[in-house]
Amino acid sequence: MINEITLCKTLPHVFRGMEYTAPVNRSEVWLREVRFRRPDYYMVEAESGTGKSSLCSFIYGVRGDYDGIVSFDGRDVRTFSIDEWCRLRTHALAYLPQEMHLFPELTVRENILIKNRLTDCRSEQWIRQSLERLEIERKLNSPAALLSVGQQQRVAIIRALCQPFDFILIDEPVSHLDARNNATVAELIDSEARANGASVIATSVGNKINLKFQTTVLL
Amino acid sequence: MKNSTVWHLLRRNISKAQLAGYAVANLVGLCIVISAIQIYRDVSSVWDSEDSFISRDYLIVSRQVSGIGSLFSGGSQSSFSQADIDDIESQPWVRRTGKFTASNFGVGASVDIGGRGMNTAMFLESIPDEFFDVKPREWNYVPGESKAVPIIISKEYLSLYNFGFAASRGLPQISESMIGMIPLKLSISGNGQQVWLPAHIVGFSSRLNTIAVPESFMEWANGRFSDRPQPDPSRIIIETSVPGDPAIEEYLREHNLEVAGDKADNGRAAYFLALVTGIVVAVGAVISLLAFFILLLSIYLLLQKNREKLQRLMTLGYRPADVARYYYIIVGCINGAVLAGAVTAMLVAKHFWSGPLESIGVESDSPWIAIITGTVIMGLITAGNILAIARNVKKNFPRP
Repeated sequence: MINEITLCKTLPHVFRGMEYTAPVNRSEVWLREVRFRRPDYYMVEAESGTGKSSLCSFIYGVRGDYDGIVSFDGRDVRTFSIDEWCRLRTHALAYLPQEMHLFPELTVRENILIKNRLTDCRSEQWIRQSLERLEIERKLNSPAALLSVGQQQRVAIIRALCQPFDFILIDEPVSHLDARNNATVAELIDSEARANGASVIATSVGNKINLKFQTTVLL
Repeated sequence: MKNSTVWHLLRRNISKAQLAGYAVANLVGLCIVISAIQIYRDVSSVWDSEDSFISRDYLIVSRQVSGIGSLFSGGSQSSFSQADIDDIESQPWVRRTGKFTASNFGVGASVDIGGRGMNTAMFLESIPDEFFDVKPREWNYVPGESKAVPIIISKEYLSLYNFGFAASRGLPQISESMIGMIPLKLSISGNGQQVWLPAHIVGFSSRLNTIAVPESFMEWANGRFSDRPQPDPSRIIIETSVPGDPAIEEYLREHNLEVAGDKADNGRAAYFLALVTGIVVAVGAVISLLAFFILLLSIYLLLQKNREKLQRLMTLGYRPADVARYYYIIVGCINGAVLAGAVTAMLVAKHFWSGPLESIGVESDSPWIAIITGTVIMGLITAGNILAIARNVKKNFPRP
C-alpha cells in the first residue's frame, strides 16, 4: 500500500549541468519537492523533451538514471528489493507507458491475460465488457501488431487496469484517441481509481485525458 | 501450464540448430567420458580376479645369478636379508611382500603312474596363503591329523610333463583333474629321522613357479627335520599397488633383481591402459566442457534476443524466477535427453565390447559407476547453465 509518492530534488542525468536553464529552471518538478497524495488526481503538463516519460519511469522504478530521491511513504525506492518491486507492480502501482509495451506477436486477449494471470484481478467478463466499452471487442483475437496505435492504446489501458492499485501512472493515455474514446477511457479509469481509492498521475503534452484533476503541475 | 502465453512468447527466438549443435557436441563428449570410464572398469575388473593376465601384479623377484662367486658362496649372496626386504617394502609401489620359505631338509617323492614307479629328489617351498592365485579346499595341513600333504605346483610343470616328458617316453598324459587322484609319497628326511608321508596335488598355479606346500606343514617339517638355522629366502613375491610403474623397473635394475616370467610386461600393459583411459577421459571432458560453453553462449544469445520481452514481462510484475523458469525447462530437457542418449550409447557400446572381452575371460563390470559419473557431470553442467541464466535474467530486471 502506498499513500504518498515524493520526489525530492530529483533531476534526470540528461539535465545535469542545465540546472539554471530551461526547462529545468521553470520546472515545478525537477530539483523541487513534489508530493503526490492518494486519492488526488494529478496532471503533469509538459512540452516535448522535458522528461515526462522519464518521470513515469523513475516513479515506476524501471529506470534509475536520476539524481535526488524518489520515495514511497518516506522510503527511497532505490532500496526496494526485486520481490518488493514485483509486489508493488502487481498490487500497488499501475502503469501505462507511452510506448504501451504490448507484445506485438500476441493477440489482444493474450496481451491482457498475460497481466491478469499474474494478478488474478479481473474476470473474463470484466475484460470483455471493457473491450466492448472501448469498442475493440472484435479485435480480441487479432495480434497486437495489426492494431492501429489508437486501438493499441485502448488495449494497453485495459491491461494496466488488470490489477489492484493505489496509484496509476498514465503517460499520454489518449494521445491517439478521439474525443469520444477519450471520454470513455476517462470514465473507465475514473471508476476503477475510485473503486480502489487510488490516485491518478497523468501526463500530457496537449491532448489531455478528460478527468477532473485536483492539481496540475508543470514539468 | 498456467502461463502458457509466456512460454509461447519466449519460445519464438529459440534457435533449434544451435541447441541441436550443443546437444550433439555434448552427447559426443559425454559418450566418450562415460564409455571410457566403463571400458576402463570392465578391463580393469581383471585386477580383482586372481588368475588374470593383467594381474593385480605380483612380481616374483630373485637376485640375478651371475659370475663365478655364486658357485662358491653357497647361495648366501643370492638370498634376501631382512634389511633387503625392509628396503623393498619401503618402496611406494609395494603393497606387501611375501617370503618363499624353502624346505631345510631332504625331500624325495615317489609316484606310481601306469604301473611304473618313479622316484625323484625334489624340494618344497611355502609362501603366505594370500599370494596364491588358487585356493583349493584341501589347502590346509594339521600335523598328525591331515591324511595327506596338499601340494600346489606350477601349471608349467604339468605342461612340461605332458608335452615334453610323457610324449617322448610313451607315458600317459594327465589332465588337471586326474592328477589329484594320483597318490604321491613324500620322503622327508633330516635331523637323523626319515618319514614317508602321503601327498597329493590339489591345484596348479600360473603365478608361482614352484612346488608349494602349506605354511603350517613347512613350519612343522622344518622344526622337526632341520638341524640347521633357517636360511634367508632366495625369492620373494611382491604385490604392487601401481602395476607397470616405471619406478619398479628402475629399482629392480639398480639392485640386480630378476623378475620371474614376463609379469613386468603385463604390468606395463596395465599401466598403458590406465594412461590411455586417462587421455580418452580428458578428451571427452574437454569436448563436454566446450559443449557446455556452446550451450551457455546460445542461451545468452537467446536471452539477448528476448531481452526486451523479458524486461517487459518483469515490468508487468513477473519475477525473474518466473521468466527464467522457461529457460531452466529448456536446459533441463536438453541435458536430460543428452544424458539419456549418452548412457544408451555407452550401454550399446558396452554390449559390443563385452562379447570379445568375455571370450578372453574378462567379466564386464556393472555400468552404475559410469552412469552415476555421467549424471554428476550433467548435473554440474545443468547447475552451471541455470546459475548463468538466473544471473543474466536478474541483471535485466528493471529497477532503479
